[in-house]
Amino acid sequence: MGLTAFHRFQDLAREENVVFYYTGYFSQSVVTAMGDALRQRLNSSDATNVTRRKLFSVFVEMAQNVVHYSADPLIDAADAELRRGALWVGEKGDRFYVVCANPIAREAQPKLLAKLEPLRTMTLDEIKQRYKEKLRTEGEAGSKGAGLGFLTVARDACEPIEFDFVDEPDSATTLFYLKATL
Amino acid sequence: MQNVYLAATSATPEVDFRFDSHRMSLKGESYPENAQAFYGPLLDAVGSYLAACRGTTIQIDVQLAYFNSSSTKLLMSLFEQFNQAALAGNHVLVNWFHDEEDDTILEFGEEIAEDYPALELLTQALV
Repeated sequence: MGLTAFHRFQDLAREENVVFYYTGYFSQSVVTAMGDALRQRLNSSDATNVTRRKLFSVFVEMAQNVVHYSADPLIDAADAELRRGALWVGEKGDRFYVVCANPIAREAQPKLLAKLEPLRTMTLDEIKQRYKEKLRTEGEAGSKGAGLGFLTVARDACEPIEFDFVDEPDSATTLFYLKATL
Repeated sequence: MQNVYLAATSATPEVDFRFDSHRMSLKGESYPENAQAFYGPLLDAVGSYLAACRGTTIQIDVQLAYFNSSSTKLLMSLFEQFNQAALAGNHVLVNWFHDEEDDTILEFGEEIAEDYPALELLTQALV
């Protein structure tokens, strides 16, 4: 890549008010370091304590989702996962948004869609109710957390979550995008 | 019973479980990579401690500013153990501290109180 391409990349990031962008392999130490940087950036903004905590919460759920579930692992051990993805945090008007992208197995798409689609139309009260029910049920097979991740993102966002699936060429994977606005 | 003290890290809270004086405290943030790996040994230690408690008054101070979704369930498991101990005749007081403006942390405290009614849980706003 020439420096001109880098300038274009920088200009676009500036136009879109990107607070930060990371692409590559995610591990817990990357998540923690990004979290510290995000927190310092938020401390110098006008965001309320509640918005800061919610933004941080959405950031952690999305970033740990990449660590645990991206279909492109570099290392896959019980306590040292490293998986590919991208995450960015930006500002638009007086709102923040967080977007993350990671590859998933193409056949995993319908199951993910079935989980996410209802969250777009549920009210906040319905989301909180579902969260409470889920809190009291056993974790589902294949889940490394509590199965509460997407519900947590939907609960903390101030608009319905957005998502997309884009097939990766010459690969059995699909890029899964998730966006939350706060 | 050995006391447990773990200093806070970026992703884990300070854990100060003084079993000898029946006072426990959790303070900070909780988003470890593997919540089960972090909380599992703590649940075991609390389980052994509670098994020997008879008519004991136990105080737990919880001041968590943030916890991720996978920590949530393990915190529920922790309070389930204390609730069992309360049902067995111990007195368990939980001081649940939350940011004045933060409903999410407050509501989670209320969930615990609802599910585990044998605990005496007091929510306290930090100003």
